[in-house]
This record gives sequence, structure tokens and C-alpha cells, in this order.
Amino acid sequence: MSDFLDANAVLVQATFIGLVLALSVQVPLRMGVFSFAGAGSYGIGAYLAGIVTLRYETPGLLSVLIAAAVAAVVGLLLGLVIARLAGLYLAMATVAFDLIISVIAINGGDLTGGPTGLYGVITDFGTLQLIGVSIAVLVLVALSEVGRTRRRVDAVRDDPELAASVGISVRRYRLVAFAASGALGGAAGAMNILIRSTVTPMDIGFGLIVLALTMIIVGGARSWKGAVLGALIFTWLPEVLNAVGEWQPLIYGLIVALAAIFLPRGIHGLFVDAQRALQRRRRRAATSEVASVGDDDAPDTDSEVIETLKESSEVEATK
Amino acid sequence: MQELIGALSLASIYVLFALGMSLTWGTIDILNFAHGSIFMFSSFTAYLLLQRAPLPFLVMVLIGIVVGALLSLLIQVLAFEQILKRAKDKRSAEMQILIGGIGIAIVPLSIAQYYTKSTPFGFEGSPFEVTKLTFGNYWITNVQLMTIVLAAVLGVATSLWLRRSRQGLALRAIGVDSEVASIMGVDRRRLALGAMAVSGALAGLAGILLTYSLGAITPESGDTLLVKAFAAIILGGVGSTAGVYAGSFLLAAAETVVLTQTNGLWVDAVSFGLIFLVLLVRPSGLFGRKEVRRT
Amino acid sequence: MHDEVFRGRRRFAVRSMVAAGALIALAACSSGSSGGSSGGGAATGGDTSNLPATIKVVSTNPTTGVVAFAGNAANKGYDLAVKEINEQKFLGNSTIQLEKSDTKSTAATAAQVATTAIGDKSVAALFGSVSSNEAVAQSPLAQKGGVPIIYTQAGSDGVVIGDYTYRATPLMREYYPIIKKFIQEKGYKSIGIIYTQATPTLQNIGGQTLPAIAKELGMTVTGSIGVQGTTQDYAAPISQILGGKPDVVSILLVGAQNPTAMKQLRQAGYTGEVLGNSGASAGNLKPAGADGAGMVWPVDFNYQQTAASSKKFVAAYKAANGAEDPLNYAAEAYDAAWFLAKSIKQAGSADRAKIKDGMAVVAKEKFDGALGSGLIWVDRDLQVPGVVVRWNGEKEDLLYEAAGVSTSTVSPTSSGSSTTGP
Repeated sequence: MSDFLDANAVLVQATFIGLVLALSVQVPLRMGVFSFAGAGSYGIGAYLAGIVTLRYETPGLLSVLIAAAVAAVVGLLLGLVIARLAGLYLAMATVAFDLIISVIAINGGDLTGGPTGLYGVITDFGTLQLIGVSIAVLVLVALSEVGRTRRRVDAVRDDPELAASVGISVRRYRLVAFAASGALGGAAGAMNILIRSTVTPMDIGFGLIVLALTMIIVGGARSWKGAVLGALIFTWLPEVLNAVGEWQPLIYGLIVALAAIFLPRGIHGLFVDAQRALQRRRRRAATSEVASVGDDDAPDTDSEVIETLKESSEVEATK
Repeated sequence: MQELIGALSLASIYVLFALGMSLTWGTIDILNFAHGSIFMFSSFTAYLLLQRAPLPFLVMVLIGIVVGALLSLLIQVLAFEQILKRAKDKRSAEMQILIGGIGIAIVPLSIAQYYTKSTPFGFEGSPFEVTKLTFGNYWITNVQLMTIVLAAVLGVATSLWLRRSRQGLALRAIGVDSEVASIMGVDRRRLALGAMAVSGALAGLAGILLTYSLGAITPESGDTLLVKAFAAIILGGVGSTAGVYAGSFLLAAAETVVLTQTNGLWVDAVSFGLIFLVLLVRPSGLFGRKEVRRT
Repeated sequence: MHDEVFRGRRRFAVRSMVAAGALIALAACSSGSSGGSSGGGAATGGDTSNLPATIKVVSTNPTTGVVAFAGNAANKGYDLAVKEINEQKFLGNSTIQLEKSDTKSTAATAAQVATTAIGDKSVAALFGSVSSNEAVAQSPLAQKGGVPIIYTQAGSDGVVIGDYTYRATPLMREYYPIIKKFIQEKGYKSIGIIYTQATPTLQNIGGQTLPAIAKELGMTVTGSIGVQGTTQDYAAPISQILGGKPDVVSILLVGAQNPTAMKQLRQAGYTGEVLGNSGASAGNLKPAGADGAGMVWPVDFNYQQTAASSKKFVAAYKAANGAEDPLNYAAEAYDAAWFLAKSIKQAGSADRAKIKDGMAVVAKEKFDGALGSGLIWVDRDLQVPGVVVRWNGEKEDLLYEAAGVSTSTVSPTSSGSSTTGP
């Protein structure tokens, strides 16, 4: 097992970093915020971590925390400015934000290393810490997918007017989405430069957005499990496709296109749909009609909202 | 003054490219990210055919138009229609189409990259000569002139057609409310196919003209233009042909100014910055008519 | 119902902690890397009797992706050299077994294949990637892992970082000054420069090296414009530069951009010669047709150069590759491989640390190689005389060759951005 890890250390690292990057897009998406600013935050995080390491010899973990914090603040500011946009317009604004970051990186002169980028960023931050941080982050995100938080998030996404009418501050949730996306992206970028020891402006361009998107779309946009699936698939797929050699990008593109067409909720969504179909059949057999709450990931939206309404009215009643 | 001519011809390329994108985005709500690939691949196909026989200018243009239209139709039928069929709601359909377009765009890109090994390809071997027309101290090439004229003509034609003709009106009806439109007897599918075909044809035309103008393009050229076209459309406003013009000229002018005044390394930042600014201040753009949903 | 939810949360939290614990345990039990020796033996210089039967060397270069043309050309050079080394029994009864790993033109894959090769104890040395991005990610790994790595191209800071890292290609900023002879012969008094920031090399040449040369020769720089990697239309910068009416124009762009710029330059009415860079070689100017003629640039190697050792290389290359003329990438790789073989022979061992010591010894001597005669290593960077070529619309003409290696501008780790390579 350790031989496998040694030989494939880079791939294992890439999987975790890819996971955190995917989460930076998936978390806002789950809240109905079409923000791709995670890719720009990745750039901010990578360069920031590189700069503090090179100039102040900051220990690895601290650089990651600083990077994540700064990126979160930037994300929040961005959110304050564009939160009123919706749908595609919001997405385009965040894409513009990402591309501006990469132009700044190229033109940053000595600070960002210009077209060469930063290199020689070596600290004590290793695969262990990488895995630790990624797992910690994953747990936090997963916790937001259960219980009351989950229901509120779903309400904000699917029916913002209704959510607002029961007292959920939609704006606050959306701002949190921007900040979280920033923190996640920044952490992913910081960890990447500390592990890879280098970053160039080309690493943080449009390709990053595409990578994050494809991981989410194919894996599943509704849950962290989808992000995990996506990260696994898209890190290891090129290895698997090695046999195809030069046609690898083409196969890659085909897979993305096919996934977008036939798997609108990703592979994870397939599992969920299958699970629910099974449950429905079982329920019919058992003649009980009540939807069960529990580990199931995406039950009917209406029942969710009703639950949220009930909860809020309970809260109201106890005031 | 010479810079003005340069900016004008640059803007006209943007117009030809963006017109197609704006057409489908403004009417049938399809933001086709594969547009850049279609543009490049039409030119690439013409290049491949040129290796077999010396083809005159008109034939090259025809090839570009036909290949562009066909590719676009193929994508619409095989991908976008499928997505729309399975989509839960409009918003997720938009996202799926966006992603799908990105994925599809990789396919022609990698085919072209495979054959050219990412080296530039051009149209030498074609009997058509790019000649210069001088007047006083200034000059313009025949291709540039053609591009400017075609952009103007096609833009006006599209605008008139959308406003006056039956199909044009029907198409715009779909853009406003597709359900009602179909109740009124509009054949959504046929019109959507038509719109995509025209959009692809425009992209192919732009591809041929640009390749002649620049002398050579690379497989990656399409994607670079895609972002610019975006900026132009958002600047000018989605759904408006006048907007496409305004946006393209504004963008080309801004880029030229930045280039001549500063060192030229911030040109891209101009496009991105403009997109951002416009979305902030006036998301509907200068002439936009589509309402921007706000939560 | 709340209970169910709470139980669900707790169940989940427990599960996730177990999973995290398992993963951390797994990571912890991965063994640390230890530098091992593969086949030892007496380190008497030149003694090949103790070498293992096969010595494995891995070339980690891009054979697919955007810079594949350079990676593939380099591999051809490696192949030729290894074939000769084995056939001539240069290492006695030992043979070099060359393996190739594709870095796919991405830094992460480059790091991956380097890590794999470093972890494979039977690998004695590496040939690093031609691409700067990738090389910069590979060097710390090789240096830390104690594996000798020799690069070609990869002209960026952060590549030659320690005693295990060597680069068999001079930085462009070091041989570019041989173009001074051409400028002086033509009598140019003013120059206009258009350069790209797509690579640190060209940004450096356009922003620093060429202006410094101009100053030295008493030329005025009438204008200097940087363009982005994504620029496709050069009409605006060209008309601006020509507005300054310079005697000569310099266009420093990456491969794909050169034909467009030349065409537009000719359209704008400039008919003189153009100072370019080696990115325009390998036929990249062909799409410009007749408009491309007149581009002149210095390069580290051209197949027409006259040094005896170069001619020998060209003949051998053509024999092995169907009468194809070798590119500079192949020549650089050829010299890199021979350097490695000499180092192994010097070390008398395939042990990584001993090869490193062998390299230090061999690097002290001048030698004749594919890149010319009188080649020397300065701080683990190879210095070569260099040549100036001119594109005539169909092929490259050799204008002149530098007399010898110029060490005047050698500066291994100067500050600021860097030079050669893709």
C-alpha cells in the first residue's frame, strides 16, 4: 500500500487538491449561487502562500490558513458587489473575476514572478498535512449537508422567495456561499503550491474553471460525495486513458459532453435517483406514504420546504 | 488614423463572430461555448481541403459557411436538444448547455491539434492574394475591407430579418416566452435549428476571413475570440444586434487605446474588466432588451 | 424526528472520523524515501568493470501536448546518443537502457513521472523536461531525491538549483548577443521592438537583453511594445512601431505568432530585415510564405554549422532518421546524453551520488559536441558558440557562426525573469 502511495504520490495529492477545488465551486452551486470564483480564489491562495513562504518563510500550515482567510475576504467582497446578479450573468461575472486574477498574476512583475510564476516554494507541508486539511474541510462541508442547515440551504436554492418569507436571510446565505467558496479555493491553491513548489499564471487560467466544473458536473453537483467522485475520476482518468495516447483530450471532451447531456445530476445523482426509486418501490409495497428523512440526500423539495416552514413556525411559537 | 482602420477591422471580426452567439443566446437561450471551436474547425476543414486542390476565395468561404452550419446543427441535435429534453428547469438547462458546450468544444480542438501539432495553419496555396489598397498615408487590405463591409451588411440584414420577417418575429417570440410561442403555432424546433445553422454559418465565415487576414491561426485561436465575443455581447446587451455592434466597437476601441497608450500587456484585462464593470452597473448592457433576473 | 436526525449526524460524524483516521494511518505508514545505491563498486575514474549490466535512464519529456514538438525532437537526440554509446561499448560491457515517460506538457504530470522514476531504485539518472514550467517542478524533486538530472532547453530560473541538476542548453540571453555582428555590418542606428510576454525568455530578451545590446552599439530604441500571449492581430503594435521609423524592427514572438506578425509587417510596408528568435525555426514561418523571408535570429545550433563534431552528429542523425535535418533540440539532447555517459564512466559506478560526483569532474573539461567545438560548462549550464541564421522563405540559411564561446555575459543566477526555451 505504501509503495502504491509513494509511486502515485502526485496523483493522490492531486486528488485531494482537486477535491477541495471542486468543493469551492460545488458549495455555492448547492446554494443556487452560480459562482466560479473558486478558481480565482485558487489563484489568490496559491500566489499568496507562495509569496509569504518565499519572503517570510512562514510554516506551511500557517500559509494555507492565511491564504484561505484572505481569499475568503476577497470572496466576500466580490459577493457583496455582485450578489444581486443571477444565473448566467453571475457566472459570467465570476469568470471575468477569475480571468482578471490571472492577468494580474502575469503582470505582477517581481511580486508574482511574471510569466515564470513562483518556484522554490518549499516548506514542511507534506502529503499528511494535505490529507488532514482536506478531510477537515470535507467534514465541515458534509456537516452542512445534513439536518436543518441542509434544509435551509435547499430552500434558499430552490425557492428563495419562500425561504425569505419564512425569515431565512437569503442574502446572508449567499454571502456565506461566496466566502466559503473563497476559503475553499484559496486553501486548495495554497496547498497546491506548497506541494508542487511552483505555480505559473497558466495554472490558474480558464483551464482551472473547466476542471472544477467538469468534476462537479460529472461527479454530481448536489453533494460533497459528487465532488469526491468527480475529483477521483478526473485525477485518475488521464492515467487510465494513457492507453489511448494522443486522443486523450478528445475522449476527455467527449466524456464531459456526454455527462452534461445524460447525467444532469452527475454520477452521484444517478445513485441518488436509483436509491429513491428503490425506496419508492419498497414504500409502495409497505403501503406507507411518508417520506423518510435520514441519509437520503435529495428528497422532494416541497417536503423540505414544508419542514423548514414547520421548524420556523415552531421557533416562532416558542419566542 | 491607421489605428482607426485597424480597430474597425478588429471590431468587424468580433461582430461576425459575436453575431452568431448573440443570435442564439438572445432568442433560444443557448449560450454556445462551442462557437469558438466551430469557427476554428471550419477554417481548419477549408485548410485540409486546400491541401488537395488550389481553391479560389469564394469556394473557401463557401466551405467555411457550410461546415460551420453543419457543425452547429450537429451539436444542436446531438447535444443541446437532448439536454433540453431532460432538464428540470430553465436554469439548470442553461448550466448544462454551458458545460456541454465546453465539453464539446474540446473535440474539434483536439482533432485539429492532433493534425497540426498546434503549429499555425494558413491558406497559402490558395490563389487568392491579400492585396493592399492605399489612399494617401493609409492602407487597408482587401480582406479587411470585405470583413468590414460584410459585418455591416450581415448585421443590418440580421436585425431587419429579426424585426420584420415572420420567422424573425417567431424567433423573438420564442425568446420572450417559448411556451406561449408554441401555443401560437410556432415550430420551436425548426426555428431553433435554423438559428443554430445561421449562427454556425456566421462563425465559419468569420473563420475563413480571419485566417486570410492574419495569414495563419492555431487550433486555440477560437477560444481566445470566444472570450472577446462574450465581452462584446455583454457590453452591448444580449438580444440586440445593435448591441453587438456597439459592444464590438467599444471593445476594439478600448483594446487599441490600451495598446497604444500603455505597454500592451493589459489588453486582456480590459475585456475582462469591462465585462465585470458592465455586469455590475448595467447588466442589460447598452442596448439589451432581455430582462436580467434578480433575486 | 429530531432524534433520527441527531442519530444520523452522529453516525455520520463517527464514520467520517474513522475514515479520516484510516487515511492518516495509511499516509503515515508510507515509508520515507531513502537514497539507495544500485550496484556500487570502486570509484576509480574511467573504470567500467564494476558497472551493472544495464543502466536505466529515464527521459521525462513532453511527447504529447503543446510543447511535444520539442520533447519529441529531444528524445530523438537521446536515442541517437544512447545507440552510439552502446554500440561503441563506451561503458565497457554495460549498456544504457533508455526509457521515455511522457509529461503531457503539464507540470503535474512532469512531477509525477519524475517522482516515479526517482522512486525506482534501478534508475540511475534522468533527462529532464524541455519545458521550463515542468523543469521547475522536477528540479526540487531530483535534488532532494538525490538523482542526477540533465535538462535541455528549460531556460528559467529555478531549474539548475543544486549539484544534481545540469542544463545542456545555454540561456538565450547568453548567446543572443552574437547578433551584434549582424547589426554592425548592416549599420543600423535605430530599432523598434515588439515582444511577447508569453514566455519569460522572450520577455527578458525584448525587455532587457536587446535594449542593452542597442545601448552598447549606440542604437536608439524608437519604440518597444509588449504583447500578450493571446494576441493574434499585430496590426496595431506594428503600425505604432513603424511610426517611429526605426532602421530595423525586432519581432520576438512564440512560434505560432511569427508568421502572422511577418505578414502584417510586410503589409504595413516594412521591407527590411527582422531580428527574431529561435521560436521561428522548425518551419514555423512557412505559413507566411514570401513575407517570412528576412527574419534573422541567433540560435545555439543549426544543422549547417561547420564544426567537425557538429558535422559528425548531423551525418549520424540523418543516417538514423531518414535524411531528416536535426533540430537544435536533438543536438542538445545528444550532448546531454554523452555528458551523462562520460560521467558514469568517470564515476565507474551507476550509483546516483557517485554519478553526481562524476559529472562535477567531467564538467571541468572543454569538449567538442554536436553543439559545436570548445563547449564549456559554467555553473552546470552549458555554453556554446552559437550561430546566426536567416529564413529565406523556404529554409534557414546559415549567416555566420560565432568564433567561440563568449563568457562575457554569463550570469547563472541573476535576478529578474529568465530566458531560453519554450
